[in-house]
Amino acid sequence: MNLSELALALVALTSPIVASAEELGLVTDEQILLKRVMEDKRSVYAASLALSDSESRAFWPIYDEYEGKVKKLDDRFLELVNRFAAEYDTLSDAEAADMLKEKMAIEKDRMALKQSYTHRIAKAIPAKKALRYAQVETRIENMIRRDVYGLIPLAH
Amino acid sequence: MNKSFVAIAALAVCAVSGQLSAQSTNDENKALLSQIQTDKRAIVLKGLELTASESAAFIPIYDEYEAERKQLADRTVALLDKFVANYESMTDDAARGILKDWLSLEDSRLDVTKKYAKRFEKVLPAPKVLRFVQIENKLDTAVEMEAVRLVPLAKH
Repeated sequence: MNLSELALALVALTSPIVASAEELGLVTDEQILLKRVMEDKRSVYAASLALSDSESRAFWPIYDEYEGKVKKLDDRFLELVNRFAAEYDTLSDAEAADMLKEKMAIEKDRMALKQSYTHRIAKAIPAKKALRYAQVETRIENMIRRDVYGLIPLAH
Repeated sequence: MNKSFVAIAALAVCAVSGQLSAQSTNDENKALLSQIQTDKRAIVLKGLELTASESAAFIPIYDEYEAERKQLADRTVALLDKFVANYESMTDDAARGILKDWLSLEDSRLDVTKKYAKRFEKVLPAPKVLRFVQIENKLDTAVEMEAVRLVPLAKH
């Protein structure tokens, strides 16, 4: 799977915007898709960082822990997107305010996680490689965001 | 097509048509940031579809928001300058400093959005504030995607 396909896989996970996940059969596919995304990200980092054996031993456990926590935030975001889709045509002020609060909370938690783990990675491997890791991570995040945001209609 | 997206498209073409040095990439990023600031106000106002009374309440706060965002854009340019200055002979200390500044900048951007979303909620219906955040997210992602992609990865 290349990076474009990786983004598409995540977009597929957000398809409840246009139809329920169940109708599209994505509930059963979700774990498979996520597994493929995670596996592909690992291969991207492995190729890009060119870690030595000792660097690999230090890096991968931290990376895996980080990805596990990011997955929980992705689940929260998908839940929010599903709520938005369900309320879209009759979105009240109270519902919109609550969704906005949850979105900001997810973003803040995501940022805190990224800061904490990037600093840990910078202590575990040379900082130059940690910077390179953060650059690749940001590129992947942006690609996924672009596709996900592109799929979600604007509130009205 | 909006001027901002012309600028983005032009930069994307540059990225695939030849190797860009860190310096020329930085110059183009500065041009991109400047262009975006010029065009963004019109995009946001058009996208929000505000009534006259909503516009009168929204615009003064939005201008304050943009002034704070301008400070963040200046920090981004300073960070790019630092990256370019250190690119050829990046030390681990320099990489650590750049990483720290970068993560802090991302966190500040999130804080500014959150702070102003709360202020906008006092003068606009919450669905329109949600719509504003969605538009901001899309614009930020489009800009950052090109800017980040054009910055070369730190050397090993």
